[in-house]
Amino acid sequence: MRNYQSILILKPDLDEAQVEQSIEKITSIISKFGGAILKLDNWGKKRLAYRVKKNKFGYYLNIYHTCEQGNVPALEREYQLYDLIIKYLVIRLEERDIERVMSKAAEAAEKAESEAKESVTAEKTEGAAKEGVVAEKTE
Amino acid sequence: MKNPTKKKRNLFTQKICRFCSDKIQFIDFLDIKLLKPLISERGKIVPSRISGNCARHQRQMTEAIKRARSIALLPFSEEH
Repeated sequence: MRNYQSILILKPDLDEAQVEQSIEKITSIISKFGGAILKLDNWGKKRLAYRVKKNKFGYYLNIYHTCEQGNVPALEREYQLYDLIIKYLVIRLEERDIERVMSKAAEAAEKAESEAKESVTAEKTEGAAKEGVVAEKTE
Repeated sequence: MKNPTKKKRNLFTQKICRFCSDKIQFIDFLDIKLLKPLISERGKIVPSRISGNCARHQRQMTEAIKRARSIALLPFSEEH
C-alpha cells in the first residue's frame, strides 16, 4: 500500500449533482484497486492555463488516496476511459509528504474551529457590552 | 574611459533566495501564488542566475512548475 495524490480535471459543463456523482464513481474506481480515500478537496470551477480538449475551464478535484502498488497503471487507464475527466495527474507521495498534508489539514480545521468559537465569544461579549450600556442607561 | 560594450551587471543582483529567506522547506506545486513570479511572461522558468534562488530550491521549484504545467495550473507558453 502506498500513498498517492490524484488531481483530476472534470468537464466544465457539469452541475453540482453531476460532480457529486462523478466523485462517487471515482471513489468506487479507487476502492476497486484496493485503495481508500484519505482526503478529498473540491476546488470548484477554475480557469485552465491552456485549453484542454477545447475546454477553457474545468472542475478541479484533489484527492489523496492509497492504492495497491501494481495497480496504478490500471487506475490511470480507468481515469482515461472515464469520459468526464479531461485531464489527470497521479503522483506517488512519500510517508513524510502525506504526514505534512494531514497535519496541515488538521491545523486548518483547528483554525476554522477556533475562529468559529471566537466569533461566538465576540458576539457574546458584544451582547454583554450592549447589556451593560442598557444597564447604565437605566441607572 | 570605460568600455561601452561592457554591460552593467547590477541590474538584477538580488542574490537572496526567496525560499530560504521565507524558510520554506517544501514547495507545493499546487501553490500557484508562490510559483507565478518565477515564470516569465512567456511562461519560461526564470533562471536562478536572475531570480537569485539557491540551487536546491531552484531544483525543487523547477519540478513544481513542471508538475503545475502538466495539470494546466501554469501555462507551457503564452496563449495564442
